[in-house]
Amino acid sequence: MKALGATWQCRARPLLGTLVEVGVPDDAGPGCVDAAFAAIAGVQACLSRFEAGSELARFNALEAGWCIDAGAHLQAVLGAARQLRDATAGLFDISCGTGADGWWLHGSQLHKRAAGTTLDLGGIAKGYAVDCAVQALQAHGCASGWVNAGGDLRAFGAAQLELQLRDEAAGGVRPFAMLGDGAFATSHFTAASRSRLHGTTRAAHASVAAPACLWADALTKVVAASGDATHPALARFGAQAWLH
Amino acid sequence: MRLVPLAPTLAAAATLAPAGAFAVDYLSADQAAKLMFPQADRFEARELQFDAAQMKQLQDLGVRARSARWPLKVARHAETTLGFVVVDEVIGKFELITYAVGLTPEGAVSQVEVLSYRESHGHEIRLPAWRRQFVGKTAAAPLRVGDDIANISGATLSCTHVTDGIKRIVTLVEVARRAGALA
Repeated sequence: MKALGATWQCRARPLLGTLVEVGVPDDAGPGCVDAAFAAIAGVQACLSRFEAGSELARFNALEAGWCIDAGAHLQAVLGAARQLRDATAGLFDISCGTGADGWWLHGSQLHKRAAGTTLDLGGIAKGYAVDCAVQALQAHGCASGWVNAGGDLRAFGAAQLELQLRDEAAGGVRPFAMLGDGAFATSHFTAASRSRLHGTTRAAHASVAAPACLWADALTKVVAASGDATHPALARFGAQAWLH
Repeated sequence: MRLVPLAPTLAAAATLAPAGAFAVDYLSADQAAKLMFPQADRFEARELQFDAAQMKQLQDLGVRARSARWPLKVARHAETTLGFVVVDEVIGKFELITYAVGLTPEGAVSQVEVLSYRESHGHEIRLPAWRRQFVGKTAAAPLRVGDDIANISGATLSCTHVTDGIKRIVTLVEVARRAGALA
């Protein structure tokens, strides 16, 4: 960690199925870090398909023709997912092949248009949760800091992160870049990976830098699925990508 | 967004050997206990001891206890028990994570804090010498500022081991409570 003009306090908790780290200036108020973790837990409760009571799990259990009332988190993520789907001609598909057009967000109503359509926000919600945690830090008066959800990370203010990439085959890390006021995410897809992309079995290791973590997170999937580190959707969302 | 490449070129960086291991300490066990139970005026060190029948009971509940003895802290305010803190560590593919679980007097999880994180090349983590450096570390490790895992980006680190560990601790505490060991 490199940071200008400040020392930092950081804490980590297991959330979102990974380790989430929050860093704030040493003189930040005591409630900042807790507020950031609470923001992430709030997103997880709404958007995880693994939590039976989540809005997403309720949508997945619906019959065709029915709808649920989507809360602010779900609306925000679905709105972004819709933009990404349209910008990538359906390549970014939160239905994972169960029906890219089988869901429809109308106002706050999330409609299920096709039987069998289920949604998985695993490719986008972690980045959104990081953004929400950053907002919570800023709302508590933090001028700088960072949030890292298992490699989907965002820094703001004076915090400068020295990005390192993990070697997925052998372990260890290598230096990559310095990041300030932005977000970075990496996805790794192989036949043996925990992460899966619908419709591709190609091995890919994709990194994306973007102004917000939602875009960085989601666009790694677009880059990995297309095999194109210059995919037109990147520029549209102010992002840069690398395949390695 | 400010992004400045560190390596001469990414292509070159991709062919370099990995740079190596790193570690971060977030909280000491004492700091975590105080964070979890700010009202506590003292923490009593106890040790849960499980006999053969209880070990069998744990096994039947789907939990491999790993040890028949588990140190635990009881958070007290005057004569009131506020809850318990158990520290544990788990090993993943490339990482060793030490964490603390705070539990209510009824045995429900109230808070989980990661105390330290160690990442290495995959092979080192299984070497006794590499692991030995962490033995006895958790209780005394100071909060070190300035190194962290903020900068690591790779395939998402799975917290399955931690999640399993938390379940194990909840079950251990439940069996101990039922046996009256935490009264």
